[in-house]
Amino acid sequence: MKKIFLSIFFAGLLGVMTGCKKDLLNQDNPNTLTTEQFWKTESDAQKGVNAIYHMFYQNGGFNRWMYFRLDLASDEGFSKSPWVELADWTRFQYINYNFWEGNVNSYRDVYKAIFRCNQVLENVPGIEFDQGRKTQMIAQAKFLRGLYYYYAAILWENFPIVTVTQRPEDMPRQSSLAEVWALVEKDLTEASAGLPEQWTGNDLGRATKGAAQAMLAKALMQQKKWAQAKTALDYLVTGAGQNYYDLVDFKDNFRADNENNKESVFEIQFSDANKTGEGDGPNSNMGSNRSQFFAPRDIGWSDGQARFWLVDEFKKEKTTDNQIDPRLQYSLFYPGSEADFGVKTYGRSWTWGADEAWFKKYSRDYMRSNEDYFNQINNRMIRYADVLLMYAEVQNELGQTADAYTYVNRVRARSKMAPLAAAYPAIGNNQTLFRERLKTERALELCGESVRWADLKRWGDLDTQAGVNKVAERDPDFRNFVVGKSIRLPLPQIEVENNTNLRQNPGY
Amino acid sequence: MSKTLPIQRRLRRPGGRSFPGRKAFVLSFIFLWLGFAFAANAQTQKVTGRVVDSKGDPVPGVTVKVQNTTRVSTTDAEGRYSIDVPDLQTTLVFSSIGYTEQRQALGGQTALNITLQDDQQALDDVVVVGYGTQLKKDLTGAVSVVKAQDVKKRQATTVAESLQGLASGIKVRGGGQPGSEAQIQIRGLKNLSGTNPLYVIDGLVSNANRDFNPADIESIQILKDASAAAIYGSRAANGVIIITTRKGKEGPLMVEFTGRSSIQTMPRYELAGTEEFSRINFMAYDNANVPRQNLDLGVNTDWQDVAFRTGNVQDYNMSFSGGSSTGNYLVSGGYFGNKGTVISTGFDRLSFRVNTQGKKGIFTIGENFSVTNSKSDEMSGNPIIDVIRMLPTIPVYNAANPGGYGYGDEKRGRTFGTNPLAIANLEDRSNENLRLRGNLFGELQILKSLKYRLNLGYETSRDHYKYLKKDGFWTLNQAFDPAIANENRAESETKLIENTLTFTKQFGKHSLNVIAGQSYQQDTYAQIWGTKRNLLPNPSGGYYDVLDQGNEGLTGGFRNRTDIISYFGRAEYNYADKYLINGIIRRDGVSRFGPEYKFGNFPSLSAAWRISNEEFYKVKWMNDLKLRASYGTLGSSNIGPYDYIALINTFSTIALGQGQGAQQGATQVKLANRDLRWEELVQQNYGFDAAFLNNKLTVSAEYFIAKTKDVLLEYPLLLSTGNDGGNPRVNGVTLGNRGFELTAGYANNDKPFKYNVTANVTTLRNKVLDLGYNKNKTYVGNTVTEVGQPIGMWYVLQTDGLFQNQAEIDNYRNANGTVIQPSAKPGDIRYKDNNGDGQITNSDKIVVGSPWPKYEVGLNIGLSYKNFEFSMDWFGSFGSTVFNGPRSVIERFDDNSNYPAGVQPWTPQNPNTSTPRAYYASTLNSRGDTDRWLESGSFARMKYVALSYNLPADFVKKAGFSRAQISISGQNLITLTKYTGLDPEFSNGSIFEKGYDFGAYPNLRTVSVGLQFGF
Repeated sequence: MKKIFLSIFFAGLLGVMTGCKKDLLNQDNPNTLTTEQFWKTESDAQKGVNAIYHMFYQNGGFNRWMYFRLDLASDEGFSKSPWVELADWTRFQYINYNFWEGNVNSYRDVYKAIFRCNQVLENVPGIEFDQGRKTQMIAQAKFLRGLYYYYAAILWENFPIVTVTQRPEDMPRQSSLAEVWALVEKDLTEASAGLPEQWTGNDLGRATKGAAQAMLAKALMQQKKWAQAKTALDYLVTGAGQNYYDLVDFKDNFRADNENNKESVFEIQFSDANKTGEGDGPNSNMGSNRSQFFAPRDIGWSDGQARFWLVDEFKKEKTTDNQIDPRLQYSLFYPGSEADFGVKTYGRSWTWGADEAWFKKYSRDYMRSNEDYFNQINNRMIRYADVLLMYAEVQNELGQTADAYTYVNRVRARSKMAPLAAAYPAIGNNQTLFRERLKTERALELCGESVRWADLKRWGDLDTQAGVNKVAERDPDFRNFVVGKSIRLPLPQIEVENNTNLRQNPGY
Repeated sequence: MSKTLPIQRRLRRPGGRSFPGRKAFVLSFIFLWLGFAFAANAQTQKVTGRVVDSKGDPVPGVTVKVQNTTRVSTTDAEGRYSIDVPDLQTTLVFSSIGYTEQRQALGGQTALNITLQDDQQALDDVVVVGYGTQLKKDLTGAVSVVKAQDVKKRQATTVAESLQGLASGIKVRGGGQPGSEAQIQIRGLKNLSGTNPLYVIDGLVSNANRDFNPADIESIQILKDASAAAIYGSRAANGVIIITTRKGKEGPLMVEFTGRSSIQTMPRYELAGTEEFSRINFMAYDNANVPRQNLDLGVNTDWQDVAFRTGNVQDYNMSFSGGSSTGNYLVSGGYFGNKGTVISTGFDRLSFRVNTQGKKGIFTIGENFSVTNSKSDEMSGNPIIDVIRMLPTIPVYNAANPGGYGYGDEKRGRTFGTNPLAIANLEDRSNENLRLRGNLFGELQILKSLKYRLNLGYETSRDHYKYLKKDGFWTLNQAFDPAIANENRAESETKLIENTLTFTKQFGKHSLNVIAGQSYQQDTYAQIWGTKRNLLPNPSGGYYDVLDQGNEGLTGGFRNRTDIISYFGRAEYNYADKYLINGIIRRDGVSRFGPEYKFGNFPSLSAAWRISNEEFYKVKWMNDLKLRASYGTLGSSNIGPYDYIALINTFSTIALGQGQGAQQGATQVKLANRDLRWEELVQQNYGFDAAFLNNKLTVSAEYFIAKTKDVLLEYPLLLSTGNDGGNPRVNGVTLGNRGFELTAGYANNDKPFKYNVTANVTTLRNKVLDLGYNKNKTYVGNTVTEVGQPIGMWYVLQTDGLFQNQAEIDNYRNANGTVIQPSAKPGDIRYKDNNGDGQITNSDKIVVGSPWPKYEVGLNIGLSYKNFEFSMDWFGSFGSTVFNGPRSVIERFDDNSNYPAGVQPWTPQNPNTSTPRAYYASTLNSRGDTDRWLESGSFARMKYVALSYNLPADFVKKAGFSRAQISISGQNLITLTKYTGLDPEFSNGSIFEKGYDFGAYPNLRTVSVGLQFGF
């Protein structure tokens, strides 16, 4: 008996001892690829590039909060949100610099996108595959990095430059606005050289050479490098790229039909295929939240609405056939739309304030009676009308005011507006008067399309108290604007505290 | 020899953990089965007698055994026994739970009456110390023993919840919510990756979570210092709680029943009603020049009445046990049902356990096995916050809203609070799991001094989470979602193989005990989930919520595995019960670290000197005195299974092309630190144990210095890294902890009126010695963690009263004459311009307080007189500063919530207040990063009070029982504190924000009636 027990025990003991090998301690993650296994094939490279585009779908960027910074902080929009802190961040009342929705989320997501760009730029060159396609992939990463740094420059200005993938302990140094612009120019120039003029088939929607040129022009114009900006725009307006672009039916720029049309220079490809939350999980949302946050009360959150001066401005000038500017009915929800155009708001007659208006572009009012988080309408980030008006602005700044008329007129003509010289003969070749009129032209054509904040900065309207006062006539929130301070956002306080190389932006 | 040493009652219930640690036990074991061989065919005579306790009351159920034989009897309800003995020179052994075992030679008598002593201050208790036992008197490290009956007497879902105040150095927070598990911290915050200690249940590294029935506990030992815990080296850095479950004891079948029924109530806020709310709300709008809301003044909803209710707990346990000298068994079953104090919450647990053991010759085999099914109906939303966010002017029901519930309205009452009834009814969440936990062990006594043990452990849990969202809204501006179903099923498994060899030998006055062992453990977890939208409504109500129905389906899943290989050894040496030395070494390898870092070594050494056993020791009033010192290293690898591996996220898709078909993306989202390695805790412990006045007064004191190096934490990364998906683990911080613990107990059982008092005091200071990534400071929320300071100190703006008039505002200037708050109005808060730059910015923040208590105190009092017993436990925590999150909601005025009843916002007519003016426009007065919301977190609380009555023996006997007790008890009935939130004893999972009360579920007031009987 004893022997039997003994042998059983010792057999068991031996079995356990031998089974217990140290290689049991080498357990691979059964759930996904490691970074070491990745970046080996062309398919990996393509997926790496695609993941950068995915950042357009995340909250801090063009899925949600970026519109609060670009549209609502500008004099076109404002917030009456009962969430006071959210509204405060559209009216220069920045108290908690770590406010996630107003600041930190966007700041973090810009860096998330840059991290993805840097991964492609570091890893793809070493992968062996077709050089032509490789060049295009690298160029897309550069375009997108340039794009994100452009918005970082617009919003925070002194935004620490990161061009290599970071280790957890890395602390980038402070960068000046000039350094950020230099990087934007370099990235977009290099991107332009490597991007195709057009994409076809399943690649339609990726960045093109024209997109890089237009983005580069925006960056140059913000720095008042007018001549270089003109050169950049030449490609789209008078150069090799001009035949790819044209103006289309105005409303086709804001609807889910006719996306990626001839007017589109670069657009964010939204889709409602995944009705889940945003982020990096499986099947994450590929749609936009904007219309849910910007739709009128009882339809959406109404966290953002349009300033009424836009309605008034649309009504100041009639079309050549004496109608109300047709752009108004596609740009804004406003009290008179049913009377003016026979158009209701999400199928409802106006029940909101007589002095209230909301942004209509990219809304789904034309196809449904409510909104949700999964808006599938592509955001036309750069459209040709914007390019033409930029071209006109650049020419005017270069003293070529007479030449600039052509391009403004082209945009106006689409909406049956008389040529500028006929409508406003007083302008003539006066650079200042032309510039002032162009400001209005841009608002009428582009209001609610997230260009106004950069426009105000570029025009210098926020550089003096007198300028700010004038803006404040249209948007009283600018009474809170402090010259020299409010022109840029505070850096997140948490970042300033934890990165000892950083100083908070001036005045904060 | 074995007669002179007190032999333990646990000896004959040798369960999984209680095999002997000393020679005496081993010899006794051998005697026992030798006795079995010689006992046959002897002549018999009858011996009778009565067993009473020190009060003179009869003790029923005492096992009476003839030494060295298998003959056993038990006492009846009167304490009487009768037993056949081979001769009248033999010795009888009397044993019963809760009493010191007693042996008495018959010396020719046929009648023998015995008085058993309570074992509560017995220094001879056996303590389970991991892979073995020690006599409590021989301990060299810091070990707390908590009596099972103290734990069981409290009404708690988990063991941890009931440990508060019962041992020094133990801090417990949480519980309350049905099925929730409390946080427990042993000797302070030693790392930042979760503070829960290691639980070892019957030798299986496990978790005494809600699936474990506290009624099954036989004993609890808490290993607090490095020398005690080192045998569990790798995972012991947070301390070890060893739980041994009950075993059957020698004798015929014993049936025990305990039942308890409790009612529970929530503490409540005092909130404004419609009249008061509307008056202040109008004031806030008027002050901001905003048109008043059209409040529904005809409604006066008490949202606390809507969301909260009286909860109850039903807790029933029954056990059947018995055994002989060669085997024992215990079968127990329990039901625990908790109807939550928040509507639509609850918890149910069914548990079942079988512990058996058998022995033949040198071979012993046994098992401990339990099955538990737990189901919780989980809370939706956070009603603790919702009841203050909802306005009294909002009706509970509103037929105009989809779903029919009332909630915020843009014109009639703007709030984003959630209607707690609506969310409770429109969302169903349940979490159910079936857990099997057990071990099978075999022991072989190879030589007299050498024993081999094989222990096979297995634990599995099958989890099922269900979520159903019905059509309808519960808050203003809710995004439309259709009916959604989500289900999630998971299984976890732990497999353990453990081999140990124990060598015990005595050479004259030297005694030696050596254990060597090896173990292998594998943990796996796998989960799958699926979700569907647009569920099919069921015409007879509700939905078809199976995943077959609906559309837009999504699925997912993942698997994890961790392997741990360990080798360990312990040597105990004892010279003449005066000098004790204990050395431990453990080597652990874990798959969680990269190839170069898998193994860690964790040695410890401890020693004790029992002065009272020295010949020169002549102090009569001090019966026992022992000095102890220890030094040791423990490790922690409490991280995810693959944290050192940088991964590619393959989930992103983008829409491209004219058809906007999805294309796959893949990229690294979360950074990883490749060189993760063991976190190491080095701890020194110095202590003494003393007993005075005939062992009536016992005192233990400990001083410890702990230093944790390479703490594994999720250190906040800079945003500029672009990292997302959580901060990666890093060996980032060095933490220091110093603490002093004192436990003193006094018991007097000499007279009919008996009493005992135990008090414990813990002081603790944590200090950051080094921060991650070579930084000096790190900021999280309203806290700063700085080298040289405790973790998570409050770092906020300082308020300095209110501006009473414009002149005060104009005169509030810095040294240069700059008006510091030019836009302020009378009634606004004055902030301190600490950097003197003439404006209030983030750079004016300073450290204003610590979230850590200076000391914590436990006090346990027990009284008894005849059949009555009274006991009371107090716990106090003093000196912390905490953030009252709910108050920062109800007193903000810039955003609509209900207001506290009697709030006095500043007005020109009512300037004598500390509450600023009501102002519905700006966050300036209500900003969350100021000391306005900080309060003292000190409190003293009566955790437990009970009165019990043992039914008179003759009455009990008539009813057919051997004993019966009824009791009434209360928990958390009295709290003394200045904290204005619901409960100063709240918990927060964030290490850096421990003192932030975000609206935690409060401890409940509980009143219980209990019944206990056996036959």
